[in-house]
Amino acid sequence: MKAKISLILPIISVLVLLLLMPLVLKNYHLNILTEIIIFALYAVSYNLLLGYAGLLSFGHAMFFGLAAFVTGIAIIHLKGIGMITAIFLGVFSAFLAGVVIGSLLLRHKGSYFALLTLAFNALFYAVATKWHSVTGGDDGLNVPRPELNVIFAKIPVETVPQFYYFTLIVLGIVILFVWFFTRTAMGKTVLLMRENEERMKFIGYSTNLSRLILFIFTGTLAGLAGAFYTLHFRFVSISAISVEMTTVVLLMTFVGGTRTFWGPILGVFVYIILQNYLSDITDRWPLFMGLIFVFMVLFIPGGLSGFIMDMKERVAKKREVALEGNQL
Amino acid sequence: MSEFLVFFLHGLAYAGLLFLVSAGLTLVFGMMNVLNFAHAAMYMLGAYFSYTLMLHTQGQLWLSIIVCPIALFIIGALIERFLLRRVHAYGHVSELLLTFGLAYIITELVKWYWGNYPLALNIGGFLGETIQFLGLSYPVYRIFVFACGALVAIILAVILQKTRLGIIIRAAVNDNEMVDALGVNVPLVFMGVFAFGAALSGFAGVIAGPLLSTYPGMANDILVDAFVVIVVGGFGSLAGAVIASLIIGELQSFGALLFPKLSIALVYLLMVVVLILKPSGLFGEEQ
Amino acid sequence: MTAYLEIRDVHKDFSGLQVLTGINLAIREGERHALIGPNGAGKTTLFNIISGKYRPSSGSIIFRGQEIAGKPPHVINRIGMARSFQITNVFHELTVFENVMAGVRSRAGLRYNFFRRPEANSYLVQKVEDILKNVGLLDVKDIPASALSYGQQRALELGIALSTEPEIILLDEPTAGMTREETEQAIKLIDRVTKGRTLIIIEHDMDVVFSLADIISVLHYGTIIASDVPEKIRTDQRVKDAYLGEG
Repeated sequence: MKAKISLILPIISVLVLLLLMPLVLKNYHLNILTEIIIFALYAVSYNLLLGYAGLLSFGHAMFFGLAAFVTGIAIIHLKGIGMITAIFLGVFSAFLAGVVIGSLLLRHKGSYFALLTLAFNALFYAVATKWHSVTGGDDGLNVPRPELNVIFAKIPVETVPQFYYFTLIVLGIVILFVWFFTRTAMGKTVLLMRENEERMKFIGYSTNLSRLILFIFTGTLAGLAGAFYTLHFRFVSISAISVEMTTVVLLMTFVGGTRTFWGPILGVFVYIILQNYLSDITDRWPLFMGLIFVFMVLFIPGGLSGFIMDMKERVAKKREVALEGNQL
Repeated sequence: MSEFLVFFLHGLAYAGLLFLVSAGLTLVFGMMNVLNFAHAAMYMLGAYFSYTLMLHTQGQLWLSIIVCPIALFIIGALIERFLLRRVHAYGHVSELLLTFGLAYIITELVKWYWGNYPLALNIGGFLGETIQFLGLSYPVYRIFVFACGALVAIILAVILQKTRLGIIIRAAVNDNEMVDALGVNVPLVFMGVFAFGAALSGFAGVIAGPLLSTYPGMANDILVDAFVVIVVGGFGSLAGAVIASLIIGELQSFGALLFPKLSIALVYLLMVVVLILKPSGLFGEEQ
Repeated sequence: MTAYLEIRDVHKDFSGLQVLTGINLAIREGERHALIGPNGAGKTTLFNIISGKYRPSSGSIIFRGQEIAGKPPHVINRIGMARSFQITNVFHELTVFENVMAGVRSRAGLRYNFFRRPEANSYLVQKVEDILKNVGLLDVKDIPASALSYGQQRALELGIALSTEPEIILLDEPTAGMTREETEQAIKLIDRVTKGRTLIIIEHDMDVVFSLADIISVLHYGTIIASDVPEKIRTDQRVKDAYLGEG
């Protein structure tokens, strides 16, 4: 019971804090916070692959970008489309892509998986670039934000705080569900994949099916983040589906730490804040990010969250030692 | 007819480049089970080093061909010895992440030092001319690029088939444990092959510069094609790399002629078909 | 009595190298069957084929009336077979509890469920704890498998094999690397936990084999040269020549 309170308390306080943010922050910062929430879902879904299953994907942006484009194109071409339908179409396209590509990659893991996901991402990018008439290519598409009608009520999402609340509530619930997912049967099965793919086969698990389900699930989640990305910026271009969009989520996730659920969220926060401030000071910001990344691969493979957990453990041990000393 | 011949020759030239890049990639992958994302960055460094060298020596391509691969051999050896070997114990994900991070840093450094725009090089002398045959005039340089690829392929085949080193490398590709049994200094062989792969890739960069121009995106462009080559050819197979480079070089070239809209997708389409029909690649062994 | 697990003329070769050259074996329900033979005789390869890790080059394996040769391991496991490994093969960074829970929930069909938490199911938790108690690991259930002693890891290996409630269980050298004393403990444990199940065991320790097995089969150069009750095996001339005579 005590363990449950210590888990739920921080979550609730963070949620309350986030709900109060529009009272404190100006629109500029609220926009950044909205972006952080969108990328938090993107990174959390990516970490299910990298941290939980031990699968390094270089193709996460194909789901993110595909859904971003489908949502945007649906809004532009389907007159009077509602926001929920637009999001649904985007997410559904990512789901379908997950089914098709996941089936093709079924037998591959490790380095093969990394290579093939990169190749598929490159394919999506190439198609998006060439198909200029639909995707707008480098120029991108301007996407108006459609109306949000829930049953018969029209919910306003035009202003920055309104869209912030919309994003926070929808994606916040989804992120909480993903957290819950990591504790469910399938979530635990994902860990078995990382720990010992060979052994799990002999206790009744199909590793191919496990990998396929996870790939579809994470792709669909990335798609949801992509749909919100288009709605948030009211714009989508081929950069949303580029390999860079995958490497960004890899950097965020790894820097934040893959060993904990909240690590990637921390990584997104740090990355976007740093990007916003450092990119004003220096053009060489990606270079510094790269150096930090390689430094972490070499010396702090657990990322920021791993580092924090280690420190916490050390402090706890010291306290224990101190207590024992007192008793003596 | 002559148009077809021109595109066929174009395809050969690109195939030559692709082979030079994928040969090292597939050998390192086969031996060390490391997919080296920084491999194409070596190619890009080769091109940029050569650009600067040629700028200062009034276009001495021959000098670049000698100097740049040596420089990249050293860089490759250092990367293997001091970085890759260190993360080996953390598992293959860390190795991939490291090479990816290095590629990222090298690209950013290149943008910083040389700028984020294409640099063109003109080749003087005989290589810069065109030759007349079968009623068409064709640039000598493209033929030269293909010849380089073909020459390296032949040399590699001879080394792998006829020398003791080649036997060790082939054994390592098939079964890592077998090499231990042969009583070889495995870390040294790994470092050598990794550095040699980097040098080959750098050599490809040197000769690619005048053909495709030198720009910061060139690494990613060829990396994806080289990945497709090793998927199609079969992981770790040099013969596969030769055939797949030729197929993809020609597919790119004729794709641009016959289906300009679809040309990029054709290469991936080939990859998907191979993945469905023979997941281990044309020359790959089943598991 | 009809055979429960029947292996018919199973061959296996690895790129030309013949490892198994026509294995025929019939195992009855509830039997305790030991496989012995010199190193390289093909014992582990036979296990790998029965449990689905490898596909036989030819031949057929019938288990509970179904052809299982060439079926993937997870399908064979669900029909009611489990195995352990010669080299400890557990989920290292998961706790002892989670290691066993993986099999228990698999058996209960909770493999890919997105909504149910196995730890919230008191019936499953009870089952896991029963198994852990049985193999003597209940006290260490919350520590990671990697932190266990060697003997404990071997016990966990057995616990994982038991976790899917198999009708037939294949143990590959469960006492490998153990001291005399540990081996005796392990054999008592195996004897107890495999009651009511069919057991096939690969073992080098002859004392263990002769005390535990109902039937002993001797594998030599990829073929079975004798298969009989322990007393007969002890006096079999071919076996003496091939195997026992050496020791």
